[in-house]
Amino acid sequence: MDDNLYREELMEVYKSTKNRGTLVSPSVEVLEKNPLCGDQIKLQFEISEDGIITDAKFDGSACAVSVISSAYLMDNLVGKSIEHAKKLTKEDLMGLIGINLTTSRVKCATLALEGLKNAIGKYENGKSNTENKNKNR
Amino acid sequence: MRRLKRKYMNDFPILNRKINGKDLIYLDSAATSQKPVQVIDAVTDYYKNHNANVHRGVHTLGDESTELYEAARKRVASFIGAVTPSEIVFTNNATDSLNLVAQGWGLINLKKGDVVLTTVAEHNSNVLPWEYICERTGSGVEYMELTDEGLLDMDVFKSKLTDKVKVVVLSHASNVLGTILPVKQISELAKEKGALVVIDGSQAVPHIQVNVQSLGCDFYAFSGHKMLGPMGIGVLWGRRELLSNMIPIRFGGGMVLDVDKKTYELAEVPECFEGGTPDVAGAVGLAAAIDYLDDYGMENVRKHEIELTSYAIEKLRTVKGLWILGPHNPDVRTGLISFVIDGIHSHDVASILDSEGIAVRSGMHCAMNLHKNMQISSSTRASFYIYNTLEDIDKLLAGIEKAVGLLK
Ligand SMILES: Cc1ncc(COP(=O)(O)O)c(C=O)c1O
Repeated sequence: MDDNLYREELMEVYKSTKNRGTLVSPSVEVLEKNPLCGDQIKLQFEISEDGIITDAKFDGSACAVSVISSAYLMDNLVGKSIEHAKKLTKEDLMGLIGINLTTSRVKCATLALEGLKNAIGKYENGKSNTENKNKNR
Repeated sequence: MRRLKRKYMNDFPILNRKINGKDLIYLDSAATSQKPVQVIDAVTDYYKNHNANVHRGVHTLGDESTELYEAARKRVASFIGAVTPSEIVFTNNATDSLNLVAQGWGLINLKKGDVVLTTVAEHNSNVLPWEYICERTGSGVEYMELTDEGLLDMDVFKSKLTDKVKVVVLSHASNVLGTILPVKQISELAKEKGALVVIDGSQAVPHIQVNVQSLGCDFYAFSGHKMLGPMGIGVLWGRRELLSNMIPIRFGGGMVLDVDKKTYELAEVPECFEGGTPDVAGAVGLAAAIDYLDDYGMENVRKHEIELTSYAIEKLRTVKGLWILGPHNPDVRTGLISFVIDGIHSHDVASILDSEGIAVRSGMHCAMNLHKNMQISSSTRASFYIYNTLEDIDKLLAGIEKAVGLLK
């Protein structure tokens, strides 16, 4: 693995707008904060009836590690099922980015992953609530 | 003068290290300073030749250790102008010292409706102990804003200093803005209102001459590790009569004279606040650090840092989109510069500087209130000490320019 976080190809991802921005009608969104460094990213997902992530975007003010890992994560998630997303680990994410992070920066990289897990939790909670309501009716 | 500085620089073994293949440029002394070989040797010598527990037992080593510990207390007392060594309480660090005042004094003296007056610029260690005590006593912390330049407007202070204010809690020098507050003037005004003044001197004692008596404050806290001393030793200075009326917060061995089942008799000040085995080696190392600073001369420390800070401000101002926090006049600030670069996160600046061997701090520097108040999510901080040079600042500038080039 290349240790240089600021190498050209990653800087391109950092500056790219491909997965950045906001979705018009997201199925779920979360605002993930890293109080230690003041980072804040918003993650949005569009999820189909059969549990497939059809679109994903992120936005916010964050460091390059957060931005790059969010960009890779979002890009990788589109077209995958939420079951697949649930199983993603920190190691998977590191593999995607292809860099060795020092301990102090690992938190920045996993911010998006934590956001993803929270978003899925929120999505499924919301769904089971409406299902329960429907059942009760 | 140059040659003299070289002599001092050679005293810091860690400065010979390579970081990512480059010579280490250490610009994070506000977080913790590096240690000269004289301090490292003093700690080693203590463990090699004198180690024993203090104030217990009667054997020779025990006596030696106790003498070294008490000599260190004397050394600290004379360095900051305490009336007697018994006004010096050894703690673990500034945080510990500030908690001791807040709990030992605040818990028994603050009542519902009382106000603790402070600023938005304080370090968490100077705010959270008071927020905790206020919650328990029904009193409240009131925060003063600073001017755009990062100074305390004395008219604002006067207007906030109502009869309800029982204690004013401030840092002598800010760990983000560098601002040095006029503690003497603040203490005089507070005295008129009968309020106590508690000063967090973590960023002042290492850099400017401090005399607690002429400052006129009531408590003064600092850490040894930011002033060339070891980690693990801190100091709380307090006026004798105030310390005598404070309650201990750490109960156990070493802080009592007599115990008889349900009753105990407290030891004298300051031992009653030093329950448990103290960091004797830390105290010995701190005394060695003070000797070192005295030899260098605190006026020379200040002169050196003003030179570095003026130069750094002049250089950093040339970077487009870079914004320096705090006052630009080096006479009212210490040797640290925090800055923000439009559109670039402080962690990225710090990572890129690290790849050049340059250590700086990034984030909020435990001053969340201040960053939120300034509406910035984080900043990068370069802080200087006696071992830094103008060349270090040239390298800092080159590193910053590299970061801007890569990320913009
Ligand atoms: C202004 C200020 N107060 C308090 C502290 C806390 O010091 P320590 O961590 O040594 O207790 C620091 C150090 O970070 C500081 O800069």
